Amino acid sequence: MVKEATEKVIPNPFVPYPATLKRVIDLTPDVKLFTLELDKAKDEFDYKPGQFAFVSAYGVGEAPFGLTSVAYRKEGLQFAVRRVGTVTNALHQLEPGAKTGVRGPFGNFFPLDNYKGKNIIIIGGGIGFAPLRPVINTILDNRDDYADILILNGARTPQDLCFAAEFDDWAKAPQTKLELTVDAGDENWNGRVALIPDVVAELEPSPKDAIAIICGPPIMIRFTLTKLKQLNFANEQIVTTLEGKMKCGLGKCFRCNVGDKYVCRDGPVFTFEQISQFIEQF
Amino acid sequence: MRVLGKKELESWLSSIMKERTLFAPKRVDDLTLFSPVQSVDEIAFDYENTNLSPKELFFPRTDTLFTIERKDGDMEITPAVIERETVIFGIRPCDARGIATLDGPYLDEPADSLWAQHRDKTTMIGLACTKPAPQCFCTSMGSAPNDSSNVDIMLTEVDDGYAVETVTEKGELLLQGVELEESDVKPSVPSCDTDVPAEGIVEAIQKVFDYPYWSRLADRCIHCNVCAYVCPTCYCFDIRDRVDRRRIERIRTWESCQSKGFTRIAGGYDPRADKGTRLRQRFCHKLLYFPQQFGPLGCVGCGRCVTACPVNIDIREIIADLQELGAKVGQGSN
Repeated sequence: MVKEATEKVIPNPFVPYPATLKRVIDLTPDVKLFTLELDKAKDEFDYKPGQFAFVSAYGVGEAPFGLTSVAYRKEGLQFAVRRVGTVTNALHQLEPGAKTGVRGPFGNFFPLDNYKGKNIIIIGGGIGFAPLRPVINTILDNRDDYADILILNGARTPQDLCFAAEFDDWAKAPQTKLELTVDAGDENWNGRVALIPDVVAELEPSPKDAIAIICGPPIMIRFTLTKLKQLNFANEQIVTTLEGKMKCGLGKCFRCNVGDKYVCRDGPVFTFEQISQFIEQF
Repeated sequence: MRVLGKKELESWLSSIMKERTLFAPKRVDDLTLFSPVQSVDEIAFDYENTNLSPKELFFPRTDTLFTIERKDGDMEITPAVIERETVIFGIRPCDARGIATLDGPYLDEPADSLWAQHRDKTTMIGLACTKPAPQCFCTSMGSAPNDSSNVDIMLTEVDDGYAVETVTEKGELLLQGVELEESDVKPSVPSCDTDVPAEGIVEAIQKVFDYPYWSRLADRCIHCNVCAYVCPTCYCFDIRDRVDRRRIERIRTWESCQSKGFTRIAGGYDPRADKGTRLRQRFCHKLLYFPQQFGPLGCVGCGRCVTACPVNIDIREIIADLQELGAKVGQGSN
C-alpha cells in the first residue's frame, strides 16, 4: 500500500499502483500472458486499445508493455510478456499471488470510433500482436459497427503464434477472415509459410474504405508498409504502434523520442502520415 | 544600489549554515565543486565556474524515487520526500538558467515531484561573473555574466563588498534582518565576448539533418558521456531497482544519449545503433527538439563540455558549422 502523504505534495508519478498477479498462461515457449488485478483504485485505471503500462518486477525494475486486455470486459489487466531481458525474465519467474505494481496507462490509442463503417485490416507479427488483440476484441464486441475484418497474424514458427486459443472465436466471427503465416513451419503445420509482407501482397486487401493497422518488429513494419503502398493505401490509412526504450512514460527521460516526438506521449499510435513528417527514422 | 560588505556576507552565510544546508563552491583536490560547507573558510570565492554544474542538487546523479518494503506479505511503497532546506551560494547565471531550462520538461504535467520539491526547498544566491573563462559563451545563448533572471538573489562584486539585487520573494525572506548599505557604486560588468552564431540554428539544423557531417564528427567520439554529465541541461535518465536486504529502492540515475544501447529495444533493434545518429541526437535535442517543445535552446553557454571533451568536440564550432552548411543549402535551392 502507498503511505498517505501528510502534507501537500505533488504526487510522485513514478509510484506504481500496487497489484497482484492473478493468472499466468503460456502463450508460446517464451511468451506468457499475465493477468493482474490492482489492489485498489481499480476504477482510476481506465484504458483503451493501444495504450501501455509499466509492470514492476520488484527488485529488478519495470518495463513497458502494451495492454492486451480490454477495459470494459473487467477481466483484469493483461500483458503478453516475451522473455527477452532482465525485467521480463524476472516477471516470468512470478507465480499467481505475487505482488507487483502497474504504472499507467500511458500514451494515445487506436481511434476505433473513427474507423466505424470501414474495412479493417489488422496485421501483427510475433509479440507485436499483443496490442492488436484488444483492437480485435473491441471490434468483434461491436461487430455491427465495422465492415469486413481481415486479421493477419504471423510468427517465426507455429509455436510462436500468440493467442492461438482465440483463433477459432476470431475466425468464426461474421465477415471476419483470419490468416496465419509462419516464417518456418513444422511437421504439424499445414498453413502458410511466408513472410507477412509477402502475404499482404498475395491477399491484396483493397484500400477502399479501409484502415490497415500494423504492429511488429520495425523491419516487418517497413516492408509491410511498402506492400500496402503498392496496393495504393494512402499514408493516412495505415496506422502503427511504435516501440521505444521508454523509462518514464511521462516525456521526461528522453529515451523514446523520434525527432521532437515522444513515442510515450505523442504515440505510441501513429499514422504513416505522421511518421512521414518525422525528421528522424523510427 | 544596496551593498553587502564582505564581512557582513560572511556572517550572513554563517547564519544560513546554522539553519539550512549551504552549498557553495569549494576546492576539492584540483576541482571546484558545489559542496555542503560548514564554515565560510571552506568557500572558494575566487573561481570562474565549478567543474560540475549545480544541476545535481536538483537532479542527483543517483536519486531514490521510492522505497519498497515487504510487510506481512504485502509490499509497502514509500515515495521519496525531500526534507532538506537548501541554499546555494555562488551559482553563476548560466547554471541558474540551466535549472530554469529544466523546469520545462520536469514541471510539465505530470510534474516530476522530486524536481518540484528540490526547486521549492532551494534558494539560489547568484554571483555575477567577474572574468568569463575562455570556453564561456553565455551571451551568445541570450544570457549575460550578470543575468539575474533565474536566481533568488543576485550578488555582483564591487569594492569591499557585493551589490545586492533581490529578485524573488524567497530571496527577500533569506535577506530578512541583513543590513545593507546604500551606495552609489556601479558594478563593472565584464563582457563575454565569444560569439557563437546561435540565432536561426533551429532552422539551419533541420536543413542538414541527414548530412554525413554527423557521422564524420562522431568518428572521434569515444562515448565517454562526460559531456552529458557536466552539462547543466542534459537530463536523460535511467530507472532501475537497487536491493539492500529486505529493502528495495527504485532509483534513477543519469544517462546519456551517447551511450551505446541507449535506444536498443527488446529484441535487439536499435534506431540509433551508430555513433553518428547518437551524436546528432545530442545536438538536435539541445538545438532543435528542446526549442520546438519548450521554447529556449537547450544550451546555456557554460562551455563545460568544450573543456571536458577528451576529443575536442566543441558545440561552438558545431553551431558555426551547421549555420555555414545550412546557408549553403539555401543557396543551392535558390
